[in-house]
Amino acid sequence: MSNAASTSNPVEAAVPEFTITRTFDAPRELVFRAWIEPEQMTRWWGPHHYTTPESTISVDARPGGQWRATMISESDGAEWQTGGEFREIVEPERLVFTWGGVDESGKPDHGTLITVTLAEQGSGTEMTFHLSGIAGHPGDENVYDGWAECLERLAGYLVRDSGS
Amino acid sequence: MTTDDLSRTFAALADPTRRAILARLAEGEATVGELAEPFDMSLPAISKHLKVLERSGLITRGRAAQQRPCRLSAEPLREAATWVERYREFWEGSFDRLDEHLKQMQRELQERKDHE
Repeated sequence: MSNAASTSNPVEAAVPEFTITRTFDAPRELVFRAWIEPEQMTRWWGPHHYTTPESTISVDARPGGQWRATMISESDGAEWQTGGEFREIVEPERLVFTWGGVDESGKPDHGTLITVTLAEQGSGTEMTFHLSGIAGHPGDENVYDGWAECLERLAGYLVRDSGS
Repeated sequence: MTTDDLSRTFAALADPTRRAILARLAEGEATVGELAEPFDMSLPAISKHLKVLERSGLITRGRAAQQRPCRLSAEPLREAATWVERYREFWEGSFDRLDEHLKQMQRELQERKDHE
């Protein structure tokens, strides 16, 4: 069986899973706190041309604790409620949480599972971010549906945003 | 492509055997027997995977020929890859901002230290 994980492979590129590695010129404690403190999250959470007001962010940083944040598009003011649940917290090196959309009743869809690993690298920090589109168990149709729906909404905003 | 179609595509892609079958079909069409060859698996087990792939629209199978060769259908794969790519871009964008934020924090901490 071929295990080539190259993104040029059309099959692997379609699997809802990827890793991003970044090195920051900041100590590990600082990077860790940027992930769980609302006053810091408001300054970076979400892609370019989005704002996430601090008043919409809540974080209960412990296993089983919930988080919520509302992203607002700068181009058309569209609001996107996101949220999830913490699964694992090892300060200051590891965070595992679900990430996805939130429905009208405030329930998160747990569309994706995110693992953030922080390693000291000199005076800086190497962050490894892994996203998996399968937060539940393979074959759990609801989880897949949640993931797909979440992506669809996200894509809608991204398309609108790039058109401005 | 609807949300249901996309879910089916992702569900079909969740299995490593099915991904290997698709990778093989990316090189050209093949019969069930040819597809089963590299795996330690019975023909009925392979057929079951092929049914999942067929239902998700990822492959099509010849109707006329006795052996019904399997063929990769590229469109659903391309659609799924587009979603994954958008998600990646979404987070890459966030991390650009995180980088700026951390630099700003460092500057503020340094200024505070300098004032002391």
